[in-house]
Amino acid sequence: MILRMSAGTAAPPLLDAEHAAFVLLAGISMTAASRGADNAPQLGRAVGCRVSADRARVTVLVPADQNPELVEALRASRAVAVVFSQPSTHRTIQLKGIDAVVEPAAPDDRERAARWSAAFVAELAALGYDARMVDAFLWCDPVGLVAVSFSPCAAFQQTPGPGAGAPLPR
Amino acid sequence: MTERIGVDSIRDCLEGVIPATVATCAPDGTPNVSYVSQIHYVDSAHVALTFQFFNKTRENVLAHPRATVLAVNPLTAARYRMALEYLRTETEGPLYESMKAKLAGIASHTGMVGVFRLRGADVYRVQRITQLPGQVLPAATPHRNLLASLRACAQVFTRSADLAVLLEELLAALARHMDVTHAMVLMLDAPGRRLYTVASRGYPQSGVGSEVALGCGVIGVAAEQRTPIRITHMTAEYSYSRAMRESAERAGLGASLETAIPLPGLADSHSQLAAPIVAGGALLGVLYVESPQDLRFSYDDEDALVALAAQLGNAIRALHEAEERGHRASKPAPHARAHERVETDPEDARKHRPDREAVPLLHPEREGGEGRVLAADHPVDPDDRGRGEGEEDKPRNEQREFT
Repeated sequence: MILRMSAGTAAPPLLDAEHAAFVLLAGISMTAASRGADNAPQLGRAVGCRVSADRARVTVLVPADQNPELVEALRASRAVAVVFSQPSTHRTIQLKGIDAVVEPAAPDDRERAARWSAAFVAELAALGYDARMVDAFLWCDPVGLVAVSFSPCAAFQQTPGPGAGAPLPR
Repeated sequence: MTERIGVDSIRDCLEGVIPATVATCAPDGTPNVSYVSQIHYVDSAHVALTFQFFNKTRENVLAHPRATVLAVNPLTAARYRMALEYLRTETEGPLYESMKAKLAGIASHTGMVGVFRLRGADVYRVQRITQLPGQVLPAATPHRNLLASLRACAQVFTRSADLAVLLEELLAALARHMDVTHAMVLMLDAPGRRLYTVASRGYPQSGVGSEVALGCGVIGVAAEQRTPIRITHMTAEYSYSRAMRESAERAGLGASLETAIPLPGLADSHSQLAAPIVAGGALLGVLYVESPQDLRFSYDDEDALVALAAQLGNAIRALHEAEERGHRASKPAPHARAHERVETDPEDARKHRPDREAVPLLHPEREGGEGRVLAADHPVDPDDRGRGEGEEDKPRNEQREFT
């Protein structure tokens, strides 16, 4: 096996510590998108997130059985966009990557998804949403989870308002 | 599952309760995903998305007219993926006005005038709707069949030949047959600048005398734009607006914000629906209903209220034409004559309500040119009892002009 060193170790990761903490916040809403055949957009919800220690790699957990077109598109194109939004504040950012890899979920990912789901239900319940409905909305078979990892190469502020769409300050 | 799902079938998903997300692709294939503040039902094969802040989505669809939307039924949690084909952007006309008005109504009540701005209504053909596998909660059995309720309410138009009686019976029918217990009818004043309440039901105070400027709030915008306005989840939309305001303030736009105006009617109104009353091309007023519940009024309720408002408009017009045949001497403005007729013809009301005193809508001598409280005859809902008890209706300080 050949171990490869990351080429750009000198450059700071696009994701700063504050934004990394934001995407890892309990109860953050996540939706991933990619491009399918003929540039057809595909999207689906993610149910958990992890960030590598050096913040160079972001991984979102996607229920593959519910989103076969999205997972196929990610595998084929490797292009990915993920929007992260905090329901209580509407604070929103979008990360994009061109090197997405779809892998089996790690051993602790099911537990991670379960924790994320509980936190998301609590976040929405605090806003007055029916917990039973949110539970059903989030439901997925943990066996179907895949891990979609990518190196963020572009990041945008997307909180509703005049500043939406601006690149995140580096 | 080969049966096609029409947009009609999933209109409950288009309420924005759980924000929808939309994915698009740039010509170079870079995907983009963003939240959609409003997906508007156009017809069984079309939807429209607001184009205001999320320019990347629109930029992408202009170059590559495909989008995919994820929408969720907020009651059953059923999830749907909609494959869309971008057709055009409308910057004027009924659809644009309808979406703009909904956005403007929200903006007006949250001090976001001038910030929340619809640049266009992006119209999409719905190519395919797919339900995602997952858990779905059983839909609650509806308390009523809305079509049967609509039919029952419409019966008032076959009986009443007097406007005061008609309005009273219509609001009573809304309560009896549709469980709509908070409702008002507002009429446009002669200069066409303000709407004033002429009948109400379900409030501790009659609400008569409350005024809404044309173009302000849910009612005023419905009138100005002549399109139904419906807000289903007041808290969520307030919160959404506040997020935008905070963004605007950060961007240095705070000075251009107006002060939030409290809504007339229910202090804790969570669902509002205003249907303009239009007949013969003229705006006559607004039929307005509200509820302290979230999600009280659906697209179906909007359809029902619009159908009733259309009948009401025709009834008012017919009453006016009947009056015009009888009185050819004076020539007030058309929309004012309906009120004047009621004001000056209490005998007719008496004729149709022999058991009670006539209730003119306007009675300058008795109430200084104010509207007459129609709600006084109705029992106040128990839930509302105690709120504002002992308060007098505020006198209206502006003399109406009907010239």
